Amino acid sequence: MATANSQTESDSGNSMLGAGGKAPELRPVIKQDVASFEEALLPHLDAAHNLARWLLRNEQDAQDVVQEAYLRAFKSFSGFHGSNGRAWLLTIVRNTSYTFLKKNQAVDFTTFDEEIHVAADEFASPATILEHGEDAELIREAMDALPAEFREILALRHQEGLSYKEIAEIAQIPPGTVMSRLARARGKLKEYLAARIGKEK
Amino acid sequence: MNCEEAAKLMDGYLDGELDPITSQTIEQHLLECPKCDQAYKIHGSLVRAIGNATPYYKAPAELRERIQSSLRDEIAELPTRNVAQDTQPLFARREPRPRAIFWETSWNWLALAAAIIFAAIIAFTLVPRLQRPGADQFLATQLIASHVRSLMANHLTDVASSDQHTVKPWLDVKLDFAPPVVDLSQQGFPLIGGRLDYLDNRPVAALVYQRRKHFINLFVWPAGPGAEKAMNTISRQGYHLLHWLDSEFNYWAVSDISEKELQEFQQLFEQQIASH
Repeated sequence: MATANSQTESDSGNSMLGAGGKAPELRPVIKQDVASFEEALLPHLDAAHNLARWLLRNEQDAQDVVQEAYLRAFKSFSGFHGSNGRAWLLTIVRNTSYTFLKKNQAVDFTTFDEEIHVAADEFASPATILEHGEDAELIREAMDALPAEFREILALRHQEGLSYKEIAEIAQIPPGTVMSRLARARGKLKEYLAARIGKEK
Repeated sequence: MNCEEAAKLMDGYLDGELDPITSQTIEQHLLECPKCDQAYKIHGSLVRAIGNATPYYKAPAELRERIQSSLRDEIAELPTRNVAQDTQPLFARREPRPRAIFWETSWNWLALAAAIIFAAIIAFTLVPRLQRPGADQFLATQLIASHVRSLMANHLTDVASSDQHTVKPWLDVKLDFAPPVVDLSQQGFPLIGGRLDYLDNRPVAALVYQRRKHFINLFVWPAGPGAEKAMNTISRQGYHLLHWLDSEFNYWAVSDISEKELQEFQQLFEQQIASH
């Protein structure tokens, strides 16, 4: 029976002890874990940073959150058996970002409506908006003014080029909701641009 | 399809996320309805503008170092914790039987022998199957590693040029074959340059293309004799690999852009070669 037990325990990566080895032998095992973890997830560091930066709108916070997310990911890495490391990591980055936003009680939903009061006839026409299509600063500003759930979905779609299925997994929403949320996010962005450009005229 | 339905599906259509039949129905509607057609065009330009104009915040180099050193700190703490947790049950199990009676010992030996035989059977039947992935899977691992390395080590291209007439001769001289090189900047996949790489036990050409802020490595080498047209995709670790063959060459495109976009890239590439 003892043999059977130690066989199942060996899954945890601590088999060295079960086999009668000494404690220091644990180190190489864990070092290997770190190596395979880094190999699987460090290539997605830019994606992680980009998402956190859009969610938190602040470079220092984004870096702190990404570091925290990587630590969390490392601790649960043995439970990750999927093939899509990027989606898995981005899910953790997203959750860590929201925890951070909540803790710091970031006011996230008021920016848009309070900043812009424009009379209906002042809104710019779609054609005028498109003339500003290459104004990167304006579009960045517009995206930053949106609520977090919209910033997140726009970043995942437009910058990571993720499919609806992957976005659903990361944002933890039903796949059918992705399209409608994207439509609302783009609609809001358009509205913001129409108001801003109309105001400047 | 009426206008209301068409408006509802607009984002899915523009993102290429609808099934082919629905997409066709929409296209049919757009041909018949100038109003919807106009709305789709305007929304499409906005969608493209969001992708092109918003910044991609790459991680600064020091963040990578910060993470790596925090992982090292993390494992430095781990061993002591694990030793304390894991050794206790082992001792507890041993203490209750200090006197090893003969038959008890032999029973243990039997159990051990049985376990070894059992493990051997498992090892001989199962492990080879698990460890011998298909040739494609093995190659996929090499391809992803090569793609990642090219982005990490600042060694994306040996010859950096968006001009196919610069990249192609450069590669021709260095390889024992002449890979097809085409520029696709008009179609949204600009050529960045070329590189030599070593894959599948031979030197290969790596063509580098860009899609927005993402890179595509297209590995090309001659197809073996008797090659037939084929295509398949593999997705792994957030990367997509698209493999196709024509009568002359083996192509593997590797990138973190979506599978759909990679297929679009493949089609454009094929079209461009055909028209040359």
